[in-house]
Parts: sequence; C-alpha cells; structure tokens
Amino acid sequence: MSLKKFSELFGDLDSINSTNNKIEVLKNYFLSNDPIDNSWAIYLLTGKSNKRFISGRYLKNLFSQIYEYPQWLIDTCYLKVGDSAEVITLLLKNKTNLRKKKLSNISLNELLSETIPALSKLNEYEKNLEIKNLWEKLPEDNHLIFNKILTGTFRVGVSIGLITKSISKLTNIEEEIISHRLMGDFKPSIDSYQILINKNINLQELNSKPFPFLLANTIEDKIFKNSINDFQFEWKYDGIRMQLIKRSGNVSLWTRGQELVNQSFPELVEKMSHIKDDFVLDGELLVWNFKEQIAFDFSLLQKRINRKSPTRSIQIKYPIIFIAYDLLEINGRDIREIKLENRRIELEKFFSKWQIKTENNISDIFKICDLIFPKDWPDALTYKEKSRENNTEGLIIKKKTSIYSSGRKKGIWWKYKVDPMQLDAVLIYAKGGSGRRAGLYTDYSFALWKDKELIKFASAYSGLTNIEIKELDKWIRKNTIEKFGPVRSLKPEMVFEISFEKIQISKRHKSGIAVRFPRITKWRKDKKINDADSLDNAYELMKKIL
Amino acid sequence: MRTKQEYLIRYKDGNLYCELADIWIDPSKPVKKALITHAHFDHFTFGCEEYISTKETAILLKERVGDNIKIKTFEYGEEFKINGINISFHPSGHILGSSQIRFIFAEEKWLISGDFKLQRDQTCKQFEIVKTDYLISECTFGLPIFKWDESNKIANDISKWITNSPEKTSLLFCYSLGKAQRLLNELSQTNFKGNIYSHGSIHKMNNRYRELGIDIKDTIKIENKKKIDELKGSLILLPPSLSKGSYLKNFKNIQTAFASGWMSIRALRKRSGYDKGFAISDHADWDGILEVVKKSEAKNVFFHHGDSEALSKYLVEKESINVLLFGK
Repeated sequence: MSLKKFSELFGDLDSINSTNNKIEVLKNYFLSNDPIDNSWAIYLLTGKSNKRFISGRYLKNLFSQIYEYPQWLIDTCYLKVGDSAEVITLLLKNKTNLRKKKLSNISLNELLSETIPALSKLNEYEKNLEIKNLWEKLPEDNHLIFNKILTGTFRVGVSIGLITKSISKLTNIEEEIISHRLMGDFKPSIDSYQILINKNINLQELNSKPFPFLLANTIEDKIFKNSINDFQFEWKYDGIRMQLIKRSGNVSLWTRGQELVNQSFPELVEKMSHIKDDFVLDGELLVWNFKEQIAFDFSLLQKRINRKSPTRSIQIKYPIIFIAYDLLEINGRDIREIKLENRRIELEKFFSKWQIKTENNISDIFKICDLIFPKDWPDALTYKEKSRENNTEGLIIKKKTSIYSSGRKKGIWWKYKVDPMQLDAVLIYAKGGSGRRAGLYTDYSFALWKDKELIKFASAYSGLTNIEIKELDKWIRKNTIEKFGPVRSLKPEMVFEISFEKIQISKRHKSGIAVRFPRITKWRKDKKINDADSLDNAYELMKKIL
Repeated sequence: MRTKQEYLIRYKDGNLYCELADIWIDPSKPVKKALITHAHFDHFTFGCEEYISTKETAILLKERVGDNIKIKTFEYGEEFKINGINISFHPSGHILGSSQIRFIFAEEKWLISGDFKLQRDQTCKQFEIVKTDYLISECTFGLPIFKWDESNKIANDISKWITNSPEKTSLLFCYSLGKAQRLLNELSQTNFKGNIYSHGSIHKMNNRYRELGIDIKDTIKIENKKKIDELKGSLILLPPSLSKGSYLKNFKNIQTAFASGWMSIRALRKRSGYDKGFAISDHADWDGILEVVKKSEAKNVFFHHGDSEALSKYLVEKESINVLLFGK
C-alpha cells in the first residue's frame, strides 16, 4: 500500500471534525493497509517520534538553491503559511518541470525505513541531490507528508485516544488493553502491529511499558455533598508526573508524555535498582528542598528535564525526589483493580519494608506522599488555601473505593487548586508595545479551546521577566502567520498560565466570558497546546465562584 | 519618465481616477462618471450620476442596485471617446461581464486589469492579452505559494466530498456572483447527480446567467421550511456571510466547506472554521500575474488590491520590470 493512501488519510483527518468519523476513517485505513504500513501510520499519528532529519531552514535553503528562488521570497511566503514544510510543498506546485517518472507506489514503510534514513548516510551534496530527486519523483499529493516527515513536523489533530478507539473497534479488544499496548516506545514493525491487534492477551508482552495514567478532573460542586471520609487527600505537587517501574530487575522512568527519561535522572534509577521487589509506582518527580522538606519551584525542575546525563554537580545543585502516591503493580501482580484505600495500605507496607531492608539509604531520593486528613469540607478548604506555603498547587482528592482506570475518568480523582482563577491558555496574537517596550511584541492575547477551535479569552501584558519577553519576541517574529497592522497572529504553540481575579459572563466577547486583571504567571514550556484549558474549564471556574 | 502628477491615471481618495476625462474607475463613493470593471460589491457604489460598463456587467449591476440607474454600455473591444481619450473594455476572465479597461491618449497606452484570471471558466469570456505601456494590475494572490489546480479537479473533489457523505447535507459557501455559477458549470461536468439548492442571493444571479446564455446546472431555491430529510446527500450553495450565526441551525447533520483561493493554506483553512476548503479562485495566481505582466509588454507596472511588496521586488530583481508606486 502506498504513501498516497497515507496522504489521503492525513487529508481526511485534517478536514473531519467529528470524532466518530475520524475513528471510522482510521479503522478503514487500518483495514485496508499492510501491518507494516499500519504500524508506521500509528507511529506517526501518535507522535511517538518526531525525529528531524533536516531543519525547516535547511529545507528552505535547499529549495532556494535548486530552483534559484530568492531566499527573501521564501521567507515572505513563510510569514503567510507558518510552516516550512508546507511553504515548500506549495512552492513545489509552481515547478512545472516536475515531470519525472513517478514513484507513485512507494510505501510508507519504504519511505520511512529505507529512503529517508538513507539520506543521513549521504554527504551534503548527495543528500541535496537525493531530496531534489525525491521531490521530482514523488507525486504532488505526497509532498506535504514527505516534507513534514523530513523536518520532523508531522502533526495532525488525532489523539492517542482516537487511535486506541479505532484499533479497539477494529479488533474488538478492550480499549484498556490497546491503550496499554500503545504505551511506551512503540517501534514500527510487523510484529508490533500484530501484537497490538493480537486477540490473545499476554501480560508478559506489556513488561516494559507503563500503565495508562489516571488523570484528575477539575473539582465539581457535587463532591461536597459526599462524606469527607469517602476521600483520600494529598497535596498537589507541581512536578513531573511519572511512573517508576522496576520489572525483572530493570528500572524505567516514564513521563506522562510517554518518554523514557532514565538518562535525565540516573541517580534515581541507580538507587531504586537496589530495592529487591519489582513494582510499578505512580508519582511525582520534584526538585526538593531537603532542609525545609518542601518542593522547589518548577523552574528549577526545568533545569533538569531536558538535560541528559547530568553531571554530579548538577545532581547536587538540583536534588530530585520521587514522591510515590500509588502502587499499581507489585512483584508481577497488577493491583490496579484493588480499591485505592487498600493500594495505599500496600504502598505504605512496602515503603517501610524498603526503607529498612534496602542496603543503600533510599529516603534521600524517594518517599511516599503524606496524606492530609481534613475533618470536614471547610477544613479541606483551609488546607487548600495553605498549600502555597508548602509550594504545592492545592489538593488532590481521590475516592477511596476507586480502582486505577485510565484517562480522565470522571468521579475518581479531582484537583482542587489553590488559586482557582487560573487557566492554561494558548498565545494567539501579539501586538507591539509602546514606550519602554517599543520595538518588542509585549501585548499578548490568549485563547482557550472550544471543541477544536481556539477562542480568544483574555489579553495580558504583565508577568514575564525581561529576559522572557525578549525570548518570546524573537519567537513571535519567527512564528507569525499574518500581520494585521501592528498585530500579528501567531502559530498556536506556546502555552501560558494566566491568572486573574474575577471571571464573569460577558456578551461582548466571543468567548462569552470576561476576566479581571489577567496576568501571565507562568510560561508553560512543558505543555503542548493540547494541554491548554478549554472554555468549559473556564465556565466550571465561574460556577464554583457563584 | 513623467512625474506622478502627470500620470494619465492616478490614485485619488483611494480610487483610480483619470483627471483628463474626469472619470473614476470602480469608485467606492458616488461620483459623476464611473467606469465599472465588474459587478462585485467592492467595485462599485450606489449613487453615481452615470455608469459605463459592458452589457453583461450592466445587467448584473441592475440586479444589485435596481433599474433606476443611468448606465451606458459598450461591447468588448468597442472604442469610445471621452475628452479625446480612447477607451475600450476587454475580457478579464474574472466573472461574467468583467473587463480590463484600456485608455489611449496621445499614443500612450494605459491598461487597468480589473480583477482577472487566466484559468478556464466557461461562464465568462477568456482573458484577452492587451498590449500596453502602463499596466495597473490587481495582485490579490501575489505570492508564489498560490498555484491553482485545474478547476475540473476541484469540481471532482467537491463531487467526491458530497457523495462520500450521503447521510449529510453539504453546505458549500462561495461568493454569490461569479464563483457560484462557475462551480455550477464545473459540477455539471462531474459525476455528481444529486440536487443542488442555492440561497436566494445566488439563485437570482443564476437566473441572470442563464438568461445570458451561460450553461449552468439547474438549482432549486432554498426555502426555509424544507424538510431536513430531503436535503440529505444534496449540495447547498450559500454566501459566506451566512456561515456565522443562526442560519445554520436550519439544517441538521451538515458538513461545511468554503470555496476560495485562500483555502490553499492550511492555517487559514483551519482558522476559517469550515470543515473543508476548496482552493478555487477567480483571481490570477502568481504565475498568472507574471504572465500578464510580461505579455502586456508594459514597461511600467502599478499594483493595487493586495500586498504587492514581494511581487514588486521580484519583478524588479528578476525581470527588470519597472514597478511604480501610486501616492495614495
């Protein structure tokens, strides 16, 4: 089956808004293609790897060289389009001399496992020639996919959940199993696809993979009607959510974004390997202030996230801790179906055993989360309000009788944030500042999701440091889609935490809400635009205040 | 070279004006005498004392502003004189009746391109190459990222889009004059056999086109009380102004699309809010503009309508063509 099919799939997914139709289209694609191409399709669609073979800049330079196009003209086009791969695709349409023999039947597998990897073995001259050759041989409809794969910018509006649903529909296997099989480093191959759709479920196969994460919902009013004793209360840490796994003696550290980050936190991996039992722990990684026994600010953690093989001095400067709040598997036994209150008992039991029995001291890098015991809901509120004091974001409330299911299931875990007037929003417009800020883009507009659309909800210009303003200004100039006088519309990519004092209904705004004193409180570089809040979240906030 | 003040045609109050003939071209405010290139709303205004256009444009204009206007018509190529200036209309291929306007005075030729395209369009006369000394050209799509696909390919895509969702009502938004009729003409040459409905504003233009002998597919005027089931699997043509607001609540289970040149860019497509975009335009693409500039043999070129910065720079650098700026 051909790359053409995949291009069509991309086009369809890009223009269909209904979730059910997307699932249907995906299912049909998987039905009519080879296992190997299917595994590559899943690999690309789930964004498992966005390896960049060449940069967007390189692509543009190359086009400029080959077709004698002035660089400034390509740059002007880029301002309009906002994506290098797409600019070059559109410009290639203008080349009527692309009439060579067509590689019309190249498969997705061939392209991804042979043609493109082969490029990195060539010297620059040969590589350029080969890319030109491929542009001229590939049918026009495939250029966008090809350029996007080359530049590592392949993205389409499909969540891993949709892929899971479509495979589940195709195979009649429960979503939970498919979702678990898709966790971790899914490597494209015939085998990996066969395992994915295999009706025989074998727990061994999932050995190296984390479980699908259970996510917390924003708190709802109805929870307050329940007895306080039905819930377990924890501090909501502002760190990186992770599963810490030790199976068959091997420790692996998985983020919620399904990245294996052993290399970034070698001291944790090393210490945990001394524990005798096998386990899967769910918890939070933080940079920890051991003196005061509270977390350091998230910004310190950021200094560790992207650093692979940190030096000893970095490890000392930014000491990490893993705080476990759940035990999901112990010595090969999956206990996710056991009630939370009983899992907690197991967690505490094993933690004290490990503290005593492990030869090396583990308590300087690993602990379990403390529980809080409010006596009633007003008391819970008091705890919540105090959470700034220990550098947490509020409370996490968990139903004691709940099992550990996957995704953002309702009625299991809730987050009760200290400052409810906060939303993560996507930067969509920027305007030049005046006076001291002249020449810089310092007035920003932010948007929230409504279905698949970003709707503007607030403008803010304070909260960033001067260094951040400069950095953002540089980014804005490179990522402008359109200019309307002094205003630029921007590629939706940057997420910011916006705080505000009041939220109310407003008929004057498209979003239907107005906020008072909006300000930027954090540049969430760790978040993707899909992690930003929705207008529904804003309405929830409003309800809570009324 | 002459100075700006001496140009035969110049910008005055944001409109093209020929002082020698005291005549305005597509003015946006009421004037004494107005030459009209075509009947789109952004190319004429109510209340001029006298209009001059092609016969077809006059008919479409009257459909829009009523019969009570004074309008003089000329055939394509027919020369007429105002204050010693020879003026003539020439097909511009944009919509039915659309024209370029040529001025000849003291052996100096000026050409106003009007809105134009070179692509196939069987609902109007093909663009005519007219030689000139001075060219005033539109440049709505003046970047090389714009390269139109053949219109029959787009028509087939539209046909497929509708027939692939037989359970849905397909709403296609397009300009009511010109684009709608061109699409209807192209669709009559595809496999699409379903019903086509059109909004009142489009429907009346369809009728004018048919009266003028243009072959376009039969359409049914959309009534507000149509039963929803009847519309399943059919195509409904609507003007873009109805895409936002409550009008869409008249329909159930819909898919929407917009037919416009801007839809060739993914970011614009995504932001437009339509499910799908079909990149079909009645304006020239980059190659089209370049071709006209070159074949007109103009030594001096002005651009209006659109962002001409890149195109101007390109012509100066690559083609050594003198691109001039109007003082607006």
